[in-house]
Amino acid sequence: MENKIKEFKNLEKWQGTLANCIRCGYCFEHCPMFKHTGWESDAPRAKIITAFGLISGEVEPSESAADKMFSCFYCKRCEAACSSGVPLTEIFTDARKDLVEMGLEGPGTTSITKLNCARCLICVGACPHEARSYDGKNIATDPAKCQACGICLEVCPAGAAKIENDFGTGRDELIERASTFLNTHESSKAIIFACNWSYFPELQASVLPDSETRDNNYEILVNMCGGRLEPQLLMAPFLHNAWGIMAAVCPDDDCQHEGNQRAKKIVENLRNTFKSIDIDPERIQLVQIPAGDKTLFQAEIDTFVVKLNKMGPIR
Amino acid sequence: MKPIDVTRLKEIVGERNIKTDPSDLYVYGSDSSVHHAMPWAIVKPENTSQVQEIMRYANEEIIPVIARGGGSGMCGQTVPIQGGIMLDMKGMNKILEINLADVYCRVEPGVVDDDLNLALKKYGVFYPPTPASSRIATIGGEIANNASGVRSVKYGATRDAVLGMKVVLPNGDLVSLGAHTRVEASGYQLHKLIVGSEGTLGIVVEATLSFVPIPEFRCMGVANFDALKDAGEAIGSIMSSGSIPSMLELVDSVAIKAVNKTMDLGLKEVAAALIFEADGMVKEAVDYEIDKMKKICEKHNGQDIHASYDPKERAKIFMGRKKLFPALSKYDDNLASTSLADDMAVPYSKMAELAGKVHEIAARNNIVMTAYGHCGSGCMHTKILMDTKRKDQWDSAKKAITEVYEYVRSVNGTTSAEHGIGLSKAESFKIEKSDSLNLLAGIKKAFDPNNILNPGKLAQAPEDWVTATNLRYSVNS
Repeated sequence: MENKIKEFKNLEKWQGTLANCIRCGYCFEHCPMFKHTGWESDAPRAKIITAFGLISGEVEPSESAADKMFSCFYCKRCEAACSSGVPLTEIFTDARKDLVEMGLEGPGTTSITKLNCARCLICVGACPHEARSYDGKNIATDPAKCQACGICLEVCPAGAAKIENDFGTGRDELIERASTFLNTHESSKAIIFACNWSYFPELQASVLPDSETRDNNYEILVNMCGGRLEPQLLMAPFLHNAWGIMAAVCPDDDCQHEGNQRAKKIVENLRNTFKSIDIDPERIQLVQIPAGDKTLFQAEIDTFVVKLNKMGPIR
Repeated sequence: MKPIDVTRLKEIVGERNIKTDPSDLYVYGSDSSVHHAMPWAIVKPENTSQVQEIMRYANEEIIPVIARGGGSGMCGQTVPIQGGIMLDMKGMNKILEINLADVYCRVEPGVVDDDLNLALKKYGVFYPPTPASSRIATIGGEIANNASGVRSVKYGATRDAVLGMKVVLPNGDLVSLGAHTRVEASGYQLHKLIVGSEGTLGIVVEATLSFVPIPEFRCMGVANFDALKDAGEAIGSIMSSGSIPSMLELVDSVAIKAVNKTMDLGLKEVAAALIFEADGMVKEAVDYEIDKMKKICEKHNGQDIHASYDPKERAKIFMGRKKLFPALSKYDDNLASTSLADDMAVPYSKMAELAGKVHEIAARNNIVMTAYGHCGSGCMHTKILMDTKRKDQWDSAKKAITEVYEYVRSVNGTTSAEHGIGLSKAESFKIEKSDSLNLLAGIKKAFDPNNILNPGKLAQAPEDWVTATNLRYSVNS
């Protein structure tokens, strides 16, 4: 097949690096998209394989190939874990730039703006990646810059910013999963929201028998970034009789989207609200976990559950 | 390409469990090997009856079917050289039962090894064959390959842990093989035959696996050697002394250099290092084994020998070995690490010679090869590091591989210890098993008369692995 490398001005420079990817697949266990769909074509390895296919001419630049390259939350766990040192997200970004030149833009996980946009420009200022801009008429998102952190969704007062394909990290789905857990497990007490950088659950793609899960006290839900936590999401478990909620975010200098600082403010406001209505604010906790520190995270959860056991349910 | 009745497949598994877009097919045409070929459709069954229906359809229409787990095979086992339907078995991912009283668990083939061990951990037991890829490898894939890993020196390979299974045959029939008991002498051990058959005889839809207690004490040690030969001889001495290590790993200088470039472990850049471990329920017994191994290493000029029970220290010692495989890509910026001549097994007394031979053959052929692996179980891993853009390097690699396996066979070794044959090791496999190839063909015919299950692999694989499929590298002509 005809080598198409010259058509990919940005991706071209990675040709040697693409050979360094040994396709071990170890990146699967870090990727929330693969964990959500179970399809290998949603995993980081698939994007590297697709990038190779694009420049070798073995993959036609198409909407579906582009959709793969535009679907990434840029949590960069895969890149941090890759022992071959492949700079995955840089390759994804360069592939996006080339595909945009060809008129292919995903959408993948790029945030879009719906018609009810009020043109308040809050999202433009809030975007940590300068992906959003105003052209005088409408808000535009640069799909090569958008890292799907979701902060624009949380700041938009009109609810006009959307990530259509959120791979299970959207607010409504997370609320539904939280309520299902709380309503079906007698011993359930807490929902833990975790960012995908700080929490490393390994793959956990397998389903345990009910006998192994029925006594679970808590459920961990990955919402990608602390910056995407919002009051409605954090309060929803309490409507289903949760005893408490915990949010796990990156340490102060670790967040790529500045989301941990937003999360701190939101949690603090909620704790103050609880205090004002005479509910123990300790039922809402925020912890900061360095990348993948499972031991610390588990210790924090265990401590929290002990605390909740002493507090009991909210009366 | 034969037309696939996508409508019929959608009726069997549902629209959400099938993919036919070329960009998805392209991804699934790869695994961890050097090979690539396009499947015609990817189908993800959720239960046994769906697998049966798919097989009945494929058998009627003579369409190849390739079962796939994590896609971490190194020799092209799941690369669809003749096209066909790829069965993504990750949709069958339930742990069905953990039976502590009868010391077995039952799992579907898409269960990930590490997930199983996470579930078993709270009961104080573990499933031991665990390969390095356990974080994504599925039980079904491990069975297909007779996978083994760092603890197989003590606990055995997958075949030793599989008690029984349910298998869908190419004609769609479901059979129960083996038993739920530790021992079984009830006729042909067909479940043991399925282990290592690389998806060419049947589709495993349920497996019954044994597990063992997690030892209370683990002590890991490391010894450095200035000569690869000394490290190799130490391995032979340890295994013939009556020692029972729970791990005995070799890493050579190429591997050490690669690890140091990737991780800040500060490993001493010596000719070779041995990592050894003893485990058990009685500390004094573990102390005895560790002391014995330390003394043997000293006898073979080992230096800087130290051992520790501390989990953090053990993790530090083992970290380099754990991340070695992907780290080899960092050995040299101009060289890529390829999954070629990736494993073999030789008698312990030949370990030292094999390690030296690998380096000698590599030098003679102007490529770089590394030697490392679970040498305690006789398994040596190598990788070929080369400039994949250059055709002459592929010619050199081909020659080097032939020479390495010639040596392996000459010392009563075997072509594969645990990675399997697939496509890239078929040449040596066919020579090694030349006196039983007819028998193997007969067995294949008995299970799969229409030759639809993973055709073109093992004894059916093309002679020239380089041209057998597209390579997943850009090679200048």
